[in-house]
Order: sequence, then C-alpha cells, then structure tokens
Amino acid sequence: MTADALEAFARELARARERWRHLVNHDPAQRTYGLLHHDADVMAWLICWMDDHDTGFHDHDGSAGAVAVIDGAVREDRLRLGAAPLQRVVRAGESFTFGPADIHRVRHAGRRPAVTIHAYSPPLWRMGAYEVDSSGALRRHSISYAEELRPLSAA
Amino acid sequence: MRIDVHQHLWSEPLVAALARRRLPPRVRRAPDGWWLDLAGEPPCQLELSSEDVGRRAALVHLDGVDRALVALSSPLGVESLDPDEAADVLDAFHAGAAALPAEFGAWASVPLRDLDGAVGELERRLAEGFAGLCLPAGALATPAAVERVAPLLDALERREAPLFVHPGPAPAEAHDVPPWWPALTDYVEGLHAAWHAFAAIGRRAHPRLTVVFAALAGGAPLHLERIAARGGPLASAFDPGLFYETSSYGTRMIEAMVRVVGVDQLVHGSDRPVVEPPDAKAIGPATWEALARANPARLLGARALAA
Repeated sequence: MTADALEAFARELARARERWRHLVNHDPAQRTYGLLHHDADVMAWLICWMDDHDTGFHDHDGSAGAVAVIDGAVREDRLRLGAAPLQRVVRAGESFTFGPADIHRVRHAGRRPAVTIHAYSPPLWRMGAYEVDSSGALRRHSISYAEELRPLSAA
Repeated sequence: MRIDVHQHLWSEPLVAALARRRLPPRVRRAPDGWWLDLAGEPPCQLELSSEDVGRRAALVHLDGVDRALVALSSPLGVESLDPDEAADVLDAFHAGAAALPAEFGAWASVPLRDLDGAVGELERRLAEGFAGLCLPAGALATPAAVERVAPLLDALERREAPLFVHPGPAPAEAHDVPPWWPALTDYVEGLHAAWHAFAAIGRRAHPRLTVVFAALAGGAPLHLERIAARGGPLASAFDPGLFYETSSYGTRMIEAMVRVVGVDQLVHGSDRPVVEPPDAKAIGPATWEALARANPARLLGARALAA
C-alpha cells in the first residue's frame, strides 16, 4: 500500500466510529491497544493515550505507517544526530505518515486523553527499539511487534 | 490463568485398557520395559516411570503455566476403531483424565465410525467438564471429511466449545523409516490438509466455531503467497477464530507465524511428554503472556477455568 493509500485507510477507519467505539479504554498506567483490521497487506490498531504515555524512539523495520488522530493530540519526535528532534503535534482530525526508514517517538500531548488509529503496511512484524547507553551511544534492540503492542499485564 | 493446551499423559486406566488389546494400538510389557505398538509406526518404548502424576503436575508449574490440557494421542487411532473396541479405551482415557489433579484439564475424544453415537458422547463429555473435542487431522482431511463430521462441529458450536486438531492417525502401513519420519512428513501434511479443508468449507458451515491446530498447523498459513497464486481462500490466514499451538517449534517458526497470522492467534502448547517446550523467556515476555494467558482465554472461553 502506498503512503497516500495507507493514510487514506487510517482516516477512513477514524471516521468509522462503529468499528472502534467499543475499544476506547484509557488506562493511566499504559497505552491500550485494540486490533481493528488484519489482512495480507495491512494491519490497523486503535491506541488510547493519556498522562504523557511515551513509545520511546523506535522504527518499524520493513513496514510503513499512518496515524490518524481521533481525539486529543500526540507529539511526534523524529530522531536527528547532533540536533534536537524534529517535533510536531498532531491533533484530532489530523494525520501523518512515516516510512520503514524513519526513527520516531510518539507521546501523548496535552491534558485530554487521546485516541489514534495506526495502520501499517505490510503488517507490522519486527520493530527496532532504541536506547541511549551511559556513554551516549545509540543502541537498537530488535523486538517483535507483540512486545510493543501487547500488554504485559493480565488481560 | 496460564495454560498449556497440548499435553498427553499415560494414565493408569489408559495403559491398562491398551494393555488388554491384542492388536495395535496396544501397549505390551517386555523384559526391557513397556512398548507401544501402532500399525503404521515402528514400536516405541514408553517411559511410564516418568509418568508419575505428581511429577507431571510439578512440571506444569515448572513450565510457568497453571494448567495443562491433556489429549488422547490421535496417532494411536483409537477413534477409528470399531465402536465397541474404541469405547473401552476411550472410557479409560476419560476416566484417567477426570481423576487428574487441578493442574490438568482434558480434551474429549469420541468414536468416529458411529457419528450419531459420537454426538451424544461429545455432549456428555462437555457436560462433564472436558474443554472441547480433539479430532485427528485425518478426520478433516478433505472438504467431504469436514462435511461428514459436521454434526460434531455443530455440537461444539452450540456449546461454545473449541475443536483441537491433532496429527493422526498414524499412517496405515509401517514403512522402513526412522522414528521421526511420520512427525515430519505424514503429520505435517495431514495438518495442512485439515487446515485447507476447514478453510474451503468448514468456516462457512460453522461461523462461530473456534479451532486450534496442533504444531502451528504445520505452518500451513505461511504458504500465503502460494494460496493466493493457486486461487485458494486467503481469509483463513486472518481468521480470528483459528488458533495455532506451538509444540515442537521454537522462536524462528513462531516468529514466522506471528508475521502472517499475528500474535493474537498463537497459543502455548508443549506436547509433553513427547517433546520438551521451548524456553518461554526466549519468545519475549509480552509474547509469552499472549500465548499462555490472553489467547488461550479467548480460545477456550469460560472453559479455560472450568476444564
């Protein structure tokens, strides 16, 4: 799926309230996720954010993505070397895309809890999670998407 | 509750019933121990000394789960015996399973030559608290075979109980092959055939049935591109009612299945005592929680706790 098609797909899902209304569930301790769609080309999730929930810097290995904000706002940081991250705040009704090569971080922004649709094509599989070690070196950990999108606590 | 959906256990009543038989499937005592005779496999020595129920219950906890579901081993071929012959072994299996401690639940098995009787048997076993029905993959080997067992699948759907598709029966004739041969050829092919047969007509006829395939269905959904190229139905690879248990596989194959069907369709199964389960930590903590706790709860429903 092209970036434009993926963004259109996410925005269309955002408008289809009956598809995700029952999955809206805010938890102060962590983001919550609901799988909305999965086929050979695309996988889509509803994510609920509050209280500065933060993904940390990560990439999506071979997948591109699109995010459509339904309610509230999220802040995206694009990682840069030798400069502060490029920041943008994305509000309800807006959307943005990223490619497999992009490294970013998404955080809840503002006081109002946020609800977002995330579409990935090809379906998300592996991800890279980044940490900065004590020497300042950037380290990439290869993780399954399940480690990012599935909760550790009892369902 | 964390669950292992696939174990076997040679309970005393089951061993006694198989030892009463003169023809395969049977167990026999020889000077060098207990042996299992199957029509299509080389004789196999049984380690009954390690089948102590207390030891097996302790292993459930050591594996990091709270309960294991035991099944009659479909390669034995008990389900396809003459109904009277089958009844003796099946009654012994269910009696042995029902007497196990709280660490265990069990899948029911029914005689498959007399399907009218089998539906009644299944209803009775589900009422007794068995988790669902275990069918040999051979009973679902073609679309026509899936139609034949439709009364059983209807009964499961009515009771909101799952189906467990297990490899078997053993190939009909013994070949001059090493002991691992059936597990890597006949059983993988049999699981593929059952998965495709359910995709072809099973899902349409049984829209609410939940099914778990043993051994990741032999990786059948990984053939996604070939299914598309040959005009097969793709939807089953993304069917939220189809689950895959992980026995005999490790992180590489599990990751490959995650890539196609998604983590939400995989459930932990060990196939003890036939094989040892993989190191749960190597899979990743969130993946392990999904495989052992969240996904079995969706597969089994209320039966996860009651089994």
